[in-house]
Amino acid sequence: MVLSMQKSFERFYLKKMNNIELRTENEPDVSSTDETSLLVIIIDTNPTQKLLRDKASQLTTVVDSVIAFANSHLMQKAQNKLAIMACHSKTSQFVYPGPRKPVDVRQVDGQYEIFLQVEKTVKQNLSLLLASENSTIATESLLAGAIAMALCYIARIQRTKSAGIKLNSRILIVSGSGDSASQYMNYMNVFFTAQKQNVVLDVCTLDQHLSLLQQGCDITNGLYLKVPQVSALLQFLLWVFLPEPPIREKLVLPPPVKVDYRAACFCHRELIDIGYVCSVCLSIFCKFSPICTTCHTVFKIPGPLAVKSKKKKMKL
Amino acid sequence: MDEDDPKEYRWETGYEKTWEAIKEDHEGFLETSVADIILRAKRKRQAQKHGNTKLGMMRHLYVILDCSESMSSQDLKPTRMLCTLKILEGFIEEFFDQNPISQMGIILMHNKRAEKASDLGGNFRKHIKYIKTLNKTNLVGEPSLQNGLEVALSSLKLLPSHASREILVVMGSLTTCDPTDINNTIEKLKQEGIRCSIIGLAAEVHVCRTLANETKGTYNVILDDAHFKDLLFQQVEPPPAANALESSLIKMGFPHQMNAEGTDEPLTMCMCHVDSVDDSSKLTTGGYYCPQCLSKYCELPVECRACGLTLVSAPHLARSYHHLFPVANFEELPFNNQANICYACQKTFTDTEKWVYQCPTCTRVFCIDCDIFVHDTLHTCPGCATNLSTFQITNT
Repeated sequence: MVLSMQKSFERFYLKKMNNIELRTENEPDVSSTDETSLLVIIIDTNPTQKLLRDKASQLTTVVDSVIAFANSHLMQKAQNKLAIMACHSKTSQFVYPGPRKPVDVRQVDGQYEIFLQVEKTVKQNLSLLLASENSTIATESLLAGAIAMALCYIARIQRTKSAGIKLNSRILIVSGSGDSASQYMNYMNVFFTAQKQNVVLDVCTLDQHLSLLQQGCDITNGLYLKVPQVSALLQFLLWVFLPEPPIREKLVLPPPVKVDYRAACFCHRELIDIGYVCSVCLSIFCKFSPICTTCHTVFKIPGPLAVKSKKKKMKL
Repeated sequence: MDEDDPKEYRWETGYEKTWEAIKEDHEGFLETSVADIILRAKRKRQAQKHGNTKLGMMRHLYVILDCSESMSSQDLKPTRMLCTLKILEGFIEEFFDQNPISQMGIILMHNKRAEKASDLGGNFRKHIKYIKTLNKTNLVGEPSLQNGLEVALSSLKLLPSHASREILVVMGSLTTCDPTDINNTIEKLKQEGIRCSIIGLAAEVHVCRTLANETKGTYNVILDDAHFKDLLFQQVEPPPAANALESSLIKMGFPHQMNAEGTDEPLTMCMCHVDSVDDSSKLTTGGYYCPQCLSKYCELPVECRACGLTLVSAPHLARSYHHLFPVANFEELPFNNQANICYACQKTFTDTEKWVYQCPTCTRVFCIDCDIFVHDTLHTCPGCATNLSTFQITNT
């Protein structure tokens, strides 16, 4: 495992170096100071996800990795922008820039103030959020809603940016919870909105395979990665998710997984190859049924084909 | 312009002081006031949308395009025809984005004849490619509305009863040159339940008004190119289903990529490009295979050429669900420190804010920009979607 990772790292850097060389030869000064990239990171902090139920301290690893990753994003270019959201058991909120006044920080040990501010703000807001948690009922993480908020936020930044500046936005989801079909509609709406707004959706899952979010990545040309071990999260984040989407095609990244776009029927939730679709509400069924269970439309039953042959027999 | 009472023209209605709606803001600018009017118009249109109505989701639309001499007029820049084509291109893209399993065809009217330019089809690239070639057509003679309608009718008549059938006429001419009585054609269209909408580029014409009224379509005359675009894009929303529309279950295939574990796919040709002359089919690996006959296609949605099965992918269907389950309209409330920030975009509310918008389901407060964004594009209320008790869409 470690060996293969090291190898891919080597390949990655070699290729990167080649690219840099190529660039200096071909296009010497494409200074893109008027391009900004906005990264919105959504961390799933739901305490009932399996990852945290097994070992709650893993949240610290995740948060530390994400903060380090976020700072690397800010470090890449002075114009880069950042927002971090926490998707919690009952609500989702922005933890950076938070709803409160920004924390005042002074330089410590020569660290860049903004990095320290990111860390302080995120940790402060997260601890407030975690302290407000009081129920122990297992709930699912409403990631679709968090993405919807992130899209609204991106839309506002897009609206208020000064003219002439190009804004590339992307959303990174770091989650350890499972998939749920109950959010299907919300997921699809946010995926298509992201596609329309040219927002790239990246997903880094820590525990389970998320097939719905995988579809979202495919729709928006983002990357989907299941991290084999949480302790290596930072390395994976820096390797896979730090480069901007235009640069990614030049890197050696994990091969895209083939996405299963088969539909699940509304009656049994099973994946089907051939199904029946209601012409009024587009619900999918695996067998012919006379009434649509979604919109209560009564269907015309296709006439039995045997009738004609019977008549012929009677005439004979 | 008002459709409520067709007998009353605008010049017969009361005296409107349209300039009084525009007020200067405290810095003496008009822009905020104008922007406010535009946003208000958008909100008004949203308010008219209702959920739960039966919609004609499988639309079959014929666009009848006037290519007569009148289209060379230069009142739209550069000419009526070029402006129409440009806007139509955007319309086609948006139409197939919002109505993924629908079909569209184009009919041209010129020199008193109607000509079916492209057949009903679901491939928007083909239509856009065709539209791009149209800017060199000769704009000659008079159009014949009746011939155009008859051509569309003959093709739409054959469709199954669950399909929603529509005609959209873009009419530049003020006259039509018909072989027989056009009222018979209108009567036939009415009987078939085909909805005809017309966009006039010049002025209101009686026969167009009759046609639209009889077939439950809409008739509008444009003011300028922006208004034209606005009117055309209103046709993107699926219309309420006609009464004659039967509902049925349609058999569809959901292809998935074939891959045996660890093996590479063989090189094959796709069925969509196999007999086209200009861009010939190439050997490729990936693709979608019809689950019934295993023919390969390079894009979806498509009707299988071998066995006739409609092939779609699940997200294609999901793309149109938001028409059926729209987000509830937000209530407009005067700003009264209900919240410090907009729940969705985190904008801080200041004293300049006059109105805020509240979702009736989750009671979160939003700014006007988010209200428009949520209803126009997102189709999911961020407040409801992050709330455990309201995240599932309940109005089924």
